[in-house]
Amino acid sequence: MSGLRRFTPHVSGFLFARFEAIEVDLLRLATSQLVDMLDAGAADPVLARSNGVFGRLLPDAYRDDDEAAAEFRRFTAPGLLERKEHNAQIVLDTLGTERDETETDDEEHQPVTISLDPNAVQAWLRSLTDLRLTLADRLQVSADGVVHLEGEDAPFLRELYDWLGMLQEELVYAIDV
Amino acid sequence: MTQTAEHTELREHVLLDRPWVTLVWDDPVNLMSYVAYVFRSYFGVTPKQAERLMLQVHNTGRAVVATGNRESMERHVEAMHGYGLWATLAKADE
Repeated sequence: MSGLRRFTPHVSGFLFARFEAIEVDLLRLATSQLVDMLDAGAADPVLARSNGVFGRLLPDAYRDDDEAAAEFRRFTAPGLLERKEHNAQIVLDTLGTERDETETDDEEHQPVTISLDPNAVQAWLRSLTDLRLTLADRLQVSADGVVHLEGEDAPFLRELYDWLGMLQEELVYAIDV
Repeated sequence: MTQTAEHTELREHVLLDRPWVTLVWDDPVNLMSYVAYVFRSYFGVTPKQAERLMLQVHNTGRAVVATGNRESMERHVEAMHGYGLWATLAKADE
């Protein structure tokens, strides 16, 4: 697919996105995990408060007033988590159903075209951000952008993080008219 | 007379209701293009203004993106969190 634009705007207002089948699988897997995580956070506010990743998805709204920050969180966290989950669900819906695992390697690289309406584009933009925020937490990205995670998962997660960033950049440029 | 009274009232109102600000903070995750897009599409600023605010966040660590009463700043902060941006609110002079 090199040389071809990934996202192509159409006069209908839809955006056409081109992927390889294996990329769709990867995005589906990552987004499903995001849905599970948001679900767990919505079901258990204590977990959502103590877990580091939720601290970045739902940061303190007041830096120097713990009480006001807690109050703000109490009022906004359920709705924010619900909307984030809803966005991720829209992404999953646009990705379609899972492929049959018996398919050959050849088929992994088959091009797939996904059409996104303006609502889906917004969901994609936000979900790609949430995915990257979540991955940045796992990768232990410090304020200067340096990845501190070591171990066998690190290279793959790093690659996924960069790929999602590229995807989001391309998406922003595609709708930036 | 009427005018003077109104002025006094207005001044008091301003003093009592100090404006609040919405701040967006630099983070290592969000892309510069995305941050500028959010400023443009949510706050309705021009591409040039959005770019300037985004660069201010990037270069100085933060930028004031809105000013107003506390309730509307809380709404903006919630919206920014929906976009995945790191936003807070504070009294204007803090």
